[in-house]
Amino acid sequence: MRIRLDPWPVDTFEGQLTLKPFAGLVFDVETDRWAAVPTRGIPGSLREVVVVDGKPRMEARLLMDDEAGELHLAAFGAYVVGAVSLCPHGTRQAELQGVRARRVLAYSADVPLEPTRLSPLNPHTGVLDYEPHAFRGRQVEGPRGQVQRLMLDDEHALSQHYASAMPQEEGETDALPETLVLQDGPVRLGRGGSAVVGYVKTLHTDYLGADRIGLLSELRCGERTPILRFRVGDRGGQVSDAEGREQRFTWYVRLCDAPFYQHPLAGIMRLEMHAPEDSAFVPRAVQSVADLSGALLHRLGSKLHKDARAPQNLIPTAALEHAMSRSMGSLELVTRRIRAHLVGQGVLA
Amino acid sequence: MVLGTEDATPVAFWFSVLPGASVQMDDLVAVRTRKPDGSAVQFYGIVDHVRTRHEGVSFDSDVQDVVAGLLPASVSYAARVLVTRVDPEDFIPPQPGDEVRHATGESLRLALSADKMDYAFAGGLLADGQVLPVNYQFVNGESGGHINISGISGVATKTSYALFLLHSIFRGGVLNTRGEGHNTRALIFNVKGEDLLFLDQPNRRVADKEGTVQGRKGWAQGRYARLGLPVEPFRDVQFLAPPRPGAGAIVPDVEQRAAGVVPFVFTLREFAAGRMLPYVFSDAAASLNLGFVIGNVEEKLARLAGSDTTPYLTVEDWQPEQDVLLDENVRFDELGKTRLETFSQLIAYLEFKLLDQNDGEGDPKWVLKQNQGTLRAFIRRLRGVQKHLSPLVRGDLSPQQAQGYRPDLLRKGIQTTVVDIHKLGAHAQGFVVGVLLRELFEHKEKYGRQDTIFVVLDELNKYAPREGSSPIKDVLLDIAERGRSLGIILIGAQQTASEVERRIVSNAAIRVVGRLDLAEAERPEYRFLPQSFRSRAGILQPGTMLVSQPDVPNPVLVNYPFPAWATRKDEVDDLGGRAAQDVAEDWLR
Repeated sequence: MRIRLDPWPVDTFEGQLTLKPFAGLVFDVETDRWAAVPTRGIPGSLREVVVVDGKPRMEARLLMDDEAGELHLAAFGAYVVGAVSLCPHGTRQAELQGVRARRVLAYSADVPLEPTRLSPLNPHTGVLDYEPHAFRGRQVEGPRGQVQRLMLDDEHALSQHYASAMPQEEGETDALPETLVLQDGPVRLGRGGSAVVGYVKTLHTDYLGADRIGLLSELRCGERTPILRFRVGDRGGQVSDAEGREQRFTWYVRLCDAPFYQHPLAGIMRLEMHAPEDSAFVPRAVQSVADLSGALLHRLGSKLHKDARAPQNLIPTAALEHAMSRSMGSLELVTRRIRAHLVGQGVLA
Repeated sequence: MVLGTEDATPVAFWFSVLPGASVQMDDLVAVRTRKPDGSAVQFYGIVDHVRTRHEGVSFDSDVQDVVAGLLPASVSYAARVLVTRVDPEDFIPPQPGDEVRHATGESLRLALSADKMDYAFAGGLLADGQVLPVNYQFVNGESGGHINISGISGVATKTSYALFLLHSIFRGGVLNTRGEGHNTRALIFNVKGEDLLFLDQPNRRVADKEGTVQGRKGWAQGRYARLGLPVEPFRDVQFLAPPRPGAGAIVPDVEQRAAGVVPFVFTLREFAAGRMLPYVFSDAAASLNLGFVIGNVEEKLARLAGSDTTPYLTVEDWQPEQDVLLDENVRFDELGKTRLETFSQLIAYLEFKLLDQNDGEGDPKWVLKQNQGTLRAFIRRLRGVQKHLSPLVRGDLSPQQAQGYRPDLLRKGIQTTVVDIHKLGAHAQGFVVGVLLRELFEHKEKYGRQDTIFVVLDELNKYAPREGSSPIKDVLLDIAERGRSLGIILIGAQQTASEVERRIVSNAAIRVVGRLDLAEAERPEYRFLPQSFRSRAGILQPGTMLVSQPDVPNPVLVNYPFPAWATRKDEVDDLGGRAAQDVAEDWLR
């Protein structure tokens, strides 16, 4: 019997142990030969890499009785999106960009609410402005979903703001973007055409199948698999119009050589980019991004003694998460402020 | 802005330095905070600690990722302030986020409590080139007095700073505003080399040195101009030195300076009448019996001196062994008496009276039943200092000579007196210091406080050690404790304050510290320095001093300019500012 260590900390949901097979179709687009592709290094024309991430937080759940005696749900929440801009060649210091918390009063659409400002006792500590956002329905998870949705939208907008445009036509030769955006998680639904790469740290879906997944454990540091294409939400069989219209390119990269005692997928990351509709080719720019991804991510990968989720939790991401948590302020202090506010309003009286 | 991550208290707080700004240790800063009722409270303080660190990173090795451009981090630049003043005295803490400003102009004056000083003189330049005011009333004895300077020899430049302070007092205008310019004096003991024998000569290197500093700091004015002081040597100086040993003409025992040094002597009669004997013994307290013998002999000598005024003493009951030719100018009433004309004759006489007379029993009135051992110890000690005191205490002078060579510290028209004692042995140095200071003290006791005399004395630990007692130490203690009301101000210096009598150091209102040995800096005598200053005292450069004065609760780091007076013969500007060639041509003409 061979015993190996799951790379993720035990409090991570599911860990790296389970892989659910992808039900839909996956196509070879780059090459038919299923073998490791070596890294090509980072070309000088890539000037900037922007790592984008976001973080939601629920701060207080509210229950409201209307005059008819009906219960409604609402919540004070906050989210923050931000970016780290860095030079992939290390010629300047990395900078945090636009890390700013936004506060949301999410409420069920059937009760109108005013914007809420929570003023502090000490003038130096700032005010908390909660902007009301209504969500449809009255489900319990509604407020949380609303905050999450707003965050994802902002994250997407931020990615689009930074990323260079990327031509996706066949035959483009020199199409490497100047600014590449790395976004935590899969790329969002929406239009392609900009240099945004989504990176998936934890692998839960197996896009490769039993006969191909072996290559992942054979990848060496910085190497990648050939690029594949799949359709989002493809559950096999007939694809409905409502879902699964969007196509994605995907490939896997190994960030570091995993120690022998770890799970074979330790240090593997899946990358994803938008793909043009029904394309049988890989745009030159996507291929260039895939080629440099091994070297880039190897550089950005963190070390185990500094981050339990190393190497996939990239150094800039970890810093960004830290900055984002800080920008939302202490949860304890915020709930105290909320409590004081409600007392002041007589709501709790 | 005042930090919120560290405690801000009314006595100390941290503040963060915004990008583009810079703060260094010893900068003076001001903060204004508001009380809930809207009234403002100002805090003034001195920066005693500055630091930078990476913010938002948790591992020391993260600095590599930051430099490699992978990890975003900001540099936190923060400084700690020790509050020197709260105005009004509402001891509330400053609030995190309060703006911290550099104290200049009026706020600098307030930070250093200059507004409380009616009379101030420049104590040096602060790190940013502003002048440190020192309250003159805490120096001249009105509110407090005495200055004590500690530091390692050579690198702490204690004497230089003491002279700079004198220069600043004499020439900085504070005396003129008080109308005391004409009768404030200084008495400086030169204990090392002949460094201080050129105080009245301009220094040829000063322009060069000060120009370099001015250029490096990029100032429009030199340091002397900033301090408002003239670049001039001391004026109205007299130099006193003990005479060269050996018979013959009385010439000062100095090597480097050919002219302008006046030798000084005491007559044997003055020695006896003035009860100077105890000052020969620096360890009189070593045994009770010895002290008793000294006291007794002192009394006998005083009686012997009587009311006559000749420089020599006469005794009836002793004939020296050698034949003495009858002197031409022998006086009638001295017939049958023996003259004591030299210090060694005096010792021989005392030896005779204590040990030889009566077949080795000694004169019972002199011996007073003391045992031989003690008496021999007394004579042995006298013999020990004979070599040094013989030229200094003599009876072979004419009364006119004796008058002319008498050290007159309060001579009219003289502002600074330098007494050179560096060539004397330790006991003889103590003797001169003790005798001169006692004389000064007695003069002041008699005539009261008319003027101020600054006494500059290095190596206090030698004259007033912590352990034991001696007549010299008693004089110094008197000066330390009562001198300020009489107008005698001690500017004392020593390597280690821990080895000096505590009452002398603790009586000093102004305390100055130069470079210190770090172990020394941790001793209780330096508790007036905050911890950060104590550790910094180990790295102070020559020309930099930490000055603590009663008006400002924290010490302040100052630097002071290169001396405008020569401190060595080769620094003397004997060309009068002209090029060497021009002077040489004048000579050849």
